[in-house]
Amino acid sequence: MSGAIDDYVAALRRELAFDPALASRLASEVEDHLRNAAEADPAWPSPEAERRAVERFGLGREIAAQFAADAVDRQARRTWITLAVTVVVTFVAMRLRVIWLDDGAISTLAPIVDRYAFIAALTVGVIAWFAFRRSLAALAVCLVGLLASIAAGIVRADLFANGAPVHVLLSAAGEITLIGLLSFHVIGLGWRLRRTALLRREAQ
Amino acid sequence: MLGMEAEMLKGHLDAIVLAALEAGPAHGYAIIETIKQRSAGTFDLPEGTVYPALHRLEQAGLLSSAWTTPPNGRKRRVYSLTKAGAAALGERRKAWGRFSQAVETALGPVAGGGRA
Repeated sequence: MSGAIDDYVAALRRELAFDPALASRLASEVEDHLRNAAEADPAWPSPEAERRAVERFGLGREIAAQFAADAVDRQARRTWITLAVTVVVTFVAMRLRVIWLDDGAISTLAPIVDRYAFIAALTVGVIAWFAFRRSLAALAVCLVGLLASIAAGIVRADLFANGAPVHVLLSAAGEITLIGLLSFHVIGLGWRLRRTALLRREAQ
Repeated sequence: MLGMEAEMLKGHLDAIVLAALEAGPAHGYAIIETIKQRSAGTFDLPEGTVYPALHRLEQAGLLSSAWTTPPNGRKRRVYSLTKAGAAALGERRKAWGRFSQAVETALGPVAGGGRA
């Protein structure tokens, strides 16, 4: 028959299922902690000592919610770093395209989208950095703006390079890689924010 | 529901955990016991609260940890203060000193009695 400590550790593992490595590490630590606490109880050995140790430890869901909130902070930091690198690389690639490609011969929408989608993404990014650092909506707007700018830049490269040279293709490949990484981080942040909100709601 | 001391403690938990490890490496249970003893029982948070703090501090490079197996045979994770952790503790002590002095001054009685 399992005791209060075994039940608690099993329940905590389930609450931390969003991070299997953390769940496994913490289960061992928490079990050690609870057994120490139960052994220090005057009623040890008894189910009552185990129950009191578990009670003093706190709700597993609340502890999982704290870990989830910390994971949101880390993910937000990763997302902002990726966004900053993507902005710099996109800007440099945009300037290089102006040098490499003959803009004078074109009259399409691509250069306008390339420039203004980038400016919009940069503006939203700067405002969000100072005012709404954990805003998923602001990061999504930056992502869409940069995506539009990069797509327009690639359209320009295809249209005017006429069998685009290697350096143009390489700069586009760098931008695509970064925007892919940024999308991955923004989606990850959204998922973590939802999970944290759910755990907090359940813990109340 | 948490008391006022527990709510106030939450904002300073990371620094308190760093201070509890200043004397030497310890595992989670020993850390929470040290905190209780040093605060003479005033800080009585749910014991599990210390683990997210330990994890956070380790991620920030202020603590390091390793599994050990003591004579009783139960595997446990032992945390130690890193050089960066010791420096961060010094900084937080200074900041707390300034802050607590300011609060004490602001909350203290006005010299010369009440309003005119």
